[in-house]
Amino acid sequence: METQMIINNFILNELAKGRKKTINNDEDLLAEGIIDSLGILQLVAFIEEKFNFTVPDEDVVIENFMSVNALSSYLDQKLAAKH
Amino acid sequence: MSYRYLLHSAIYENALLRPRHPAVRFQKEELTYDQLAKNSAQLGNFLVDLGVKRGDRVGIYMNKNINSAVAIYGILSAGAAYVPLDPFAPIDRLIFVINDCQIRFLITNESRKDNLKEIIEKTTLEGIIGIQNDVEINVPSYSWNQIFRHPSSQPSINLVEQDLAYILYTSGSTGTPKGIMHTHRSGLSFAEWAVQTYQISSSDHISNHAPLHFDLSTFDFFAAAIAGATTVIIPEGITKLPASMARWIQDEKITIWYSVPFALIQMLERGGLDSKNLSSLRWVLFAGEPFPTKHLRNLMKTLPWARFSNLYGPTETNVCTYYHVAPLSEDSDEPIPIGIVCENTEDLVIDTEGKPLPDGQIGELLIRGGTVMKGYWGRPDLTEKGFFRRSMFGYCEDIFYRTGDLVQKMPDGNYKFLGRKDRQIKTRGYRVELDEVEAALLSHPAVHEAAAYPVPDVEGSNLIEAAIILVQGEKLSEDDLVKHLSGRLPNYAIPAKIVISDDFPRTSTGKINRRELQERAIKNF
Repeated sequence: METQMIINNFILNELAKGRKKTINNDEDLLAEGIIDSLGILQLVAFIEEKFNFTVPDEDVVIENFMSVNALSSYLDQKLAAKH
Repeated sequence: MSYRYLLHSAIYENALLRPRHPAVRFQKEELTYDQLAKNSAQLGNFLVDLGVKRGDRVGIYMNKNINSAVAIYGILSAGAAYVPLDPFAPIDRLIFVINDCQIRFLITNESRKDNLKEIIEKTTLEGIIGIQNDVEINVPSYSWNQIFRHPSSQPSINLVEQDLAYILYTSGSTGTPKGIMHTHRSGLSFAEWAVQTYQISSSDHISNHAPLHFDLSTFDFFAAAIAGATTVIIPEGITKLPASMARWIQDEKITIWYSVPFALIQMLERGGLDSKNLSSLRWVLFAGEPFPTKHLRNLMKTLPWARFSNLYGPTETNVCTYYHVAPLSEDSDEPIPIGIVCENTEDLVIDTEGKPLPDGQIGELLIRGGTVMKGYWGRPDLTEKGFFRRSMFGYCEDIFYRTGDLVQKMPDGNYKFLGRKDRQIKTRGYRVELDEVEAALLSHPAVHEAAAYPVPDVEGSNLIEAAIILVQGEKLSEDDLVKHLSGRLPNYAIPAKIVISDDFPRTSTGKINRRELQERAIKNF
């Protein structure tokens, strides 16, 4: 739950600043133009810093970055593996 | 085969020749040529019943989907011109375009519904096509189900090749969008040339990466239709993820890829190309802006079985020159040429006074031929300014389009691209080519991308500022970079300030948005 909130807040307040009032956790972030290619880079950088691990290029794919839910379950899985 | 003079004829021909062959694919959906022709005819008949007349404008405003192709061919079948709108454009720009060329109907889908109410209030739109009847919307709306109940035989409309086929809006230098009008003839001239030059056949899978409002998309759809090939539309979400994009090429067995260099560079850097099987790729085509040579060389090494070709041309001319990339030498980052003129295209290079120049001299490139636009919608003043008239034998004249690009013909006949005429600025009294500044920045091995732009200074002249993105993992100080530049540029051309950024703002077509960079710089000045 916490992961979802952190990601949702970052996207809403940084990447979609002024363009969106809320973001649904299952909303398609990419097809709807909420995040562009620059946004993806910022999001990856944010995750790497916040959760202290490197996201390999191969993981930056549609399945993991499509929605807040997709991204947080990817992250939870990665973080669980780390511990 | 009969003489083809309309863009949509190709799909009706293929519906007879290869009815069950896939014409267009999007994710898991596919339309055969038979289905595409029938659906397009149904939309065409529906539009005619609504009162759409030859030459009317119908907008396409939606995220890409399987019906994007139906929208294009249905509008053309009705004798109207299609106007593709950027689905992610600010609403004021959309309203401007709709009012500017008096779009009567809009083909859309649920994805854009939120914006429709405001658009309808501020425009003279008569109806919305592609969504269910909706009480929120003040004009009639029609669903695809209603449309697909109409007759599936091609509407009989008397059209000639000079009829308007589509209008593409680009940002003018003043910031007001201008509508570039293309006819069936100018679109076909380009698409038929492309089919010949790249030997496109029905077995090809052609990627559609560009948005519909970007002229690269006319290749993806029209060249494919002429050859009876399959256009595979890449979902917009995937275009933002290099690793997904590369896997998509593999899974869809794309044989011809066409995009701006940026998409290819992204895949090269972060797409994991080595781990994918991309052996289906026959041609990698790119256009829109120069491909930095060091990235192109790496890409060519990664995909040694593919051929690479650079297509050049402002939207106003479709494509007017091309260059099949020859093997690149290891020790030079010299930009590749834009190549030789296409067949049925005449070139002329003039100086600032309008006098034709001999080969080898630097001047503005002028283009005449079948692919050139009809003019700018509703702007005879801009159209007149955009064309150059050469008197012939004293009693007739040849009309050339002025590209605004500076070129130089090399001894081997290939043109070298030297930048935009208006990218030439004066700083402290000296004339500087901003593209040259960018090329010098890019020649440093740690520099991944570079943009140079003028910022007005207090004395009423310009300073040059540049922004760069470093190659991942590299470090570089402004001082070291200036040292590197001083060996390559005259002192006055060295940027007064170099900003290191994570990424650049991009236009909706994927090009570096230098105007946005410049505006930010002026704000911070």
